[in-house]
Amino acid sequence: MTQILPLIKRFFQQELRNSNALFSLGLYLIGITYLIYLLGGNNAADNTWNTLLWVVVFFAAVTQSSRSFELESSDYFYYYQTVAGPGPTIIAKLLFNASYMAVLALTTWMLFTFFYGNSVYDPGVFALGLLLGSIGFSVVLTLTNGIASRTAGNATLSTILAIPLMFPVLKLTSTINIQAMVGVSFEDVLPLLGALGALDIAIGLLAYLLFPYLWQD
Amino acid sequence: MKGRVYKFAGVALVLYSLIYGLLTSIPELPIIEQSIRNLFYHVSMWFTMVAMMAASFGNAIGYLSKENLQRDIRSVCQAEVGMLFATLGLVTGMMWAKFTWGAWWTNDPKLNGSAITVLIYLAYFVLRNAMDDERKRARISAVYNIFAFVMMIVFIGILPRMTDSLHPGNGGNPGFNSYDLDNRLRLVFYPAVLGWIFIGTWIASLRYRLRKLQA
Repeated sequence: MTQILPLIKRFFQQELRNSNALFSLGLYLIGITYLIYLLGGNNAADNTWNTLLWVVVFFAAVTQSSRSFELESSDYFYYYQTVAGPGPTIIAKLLFNASYMAVLALTTWMLFTFFYGNSVYDPGVFALGLLLGSIGFSVVLTLTNGIASRTAGNATLSTILAIPLMFPVLKLTSTINIQAMVGVSFEDVLPLLGALGALDIAIGLLAYLLFPYLWQD
Repeated sequence: MKGRVYKFAGVALVLYSLIYGLLTSIPELPIIEQSIRNLFYHVSMWFTMVAMMAASFGNAIGYLSKENLQRDIRSVCQAEVGMLFATLGLVTGMMWAKFTWGAWWTNDPKLNGSAITVLIYLAYFVLRNAMDDERKRARISAVYNIFAFVMMIVFIGILPRMTDSLHPGNGGNPGFNSYDLDNRLRLVFYPAVLGWIFIGTWIASLRYRLRKLQA
């Protein structure tokens, strides 16, 4: 823990220092939400609203995480690993990406509510679904980015690898969100939330176990 | 001779299931009617695919623990054969769906699962082609293989159970699950699965030997 926290702090500092990337991500979110608004997204039915939200979050996630190993060159990553050990480095990276993703997803939700009005009946469940979903997203994307960064600089490879792997998380999250929008009772959503939480833990653990193999040469 | 037994067994079982599958008497059910025989030809493809992918997954783990390149070659050959069976499963399933549901493709959890499985393993082959160095390719694709297999099992094995589906074996649809209990079908279905798994193993071992010669 003493090694993980400074690393997370360092990742955030790096992100804030590189304000260009942060602003371009924010601009993307505002731009795309407004674009959807112009194209009539404010009249969207629940299903469409949810789909649009997840498409926007999905591309934000891909953009954000595509830089997760680019920003610091692999030398930097090796340096962290030697200083803190591979385990804490990966946990720090996963936690950083997950919290970043959660902020992005919540921002998107806020923007959607601002432009299209509130369509969510049960904000608590919706937020929980969004949170667990973004954790799952970030784990999958961090791993596939780690894989892609080890191949000869193929930028699209990470997306190709990630899309089919993200489906289980995406499917569960969007089901939870739809149920939160129409206001299904909490007891009925609980199994789905539990399944998503368990899936997040399982893939997080798997990523933690597999990551060291990616970086040994 | 010892290594050949399973090949003979595979051929015999597959021939038996192909021929006897058309001859055997079936439970009479509305809508599904004679197409229930697809249980022998379609469902066995998916069982074989999962078996092949599981073997590939096992070899991927084996590679990461022992760094033996033979394991990597085995792993990719098994994934290729798994893809072959996935394609056959999709084709047989689509023909069945056209006659039973009236459409080649429906938005159904099991169908989505199979589509995602195919995409996952196509991405696996793309990943392998993106790297030249043998050991690096073996290690990194093994990492992806392990992760992908777990995700696939979650998607085709766990999620469909949590949502309703048109597919036989789910929800209120008269499904194959209730027919599995029918001994006449069981008598053909289980040998068919076993036979195809043997045949799949045989194809994978031939591909493995071919790849080793090419390497």
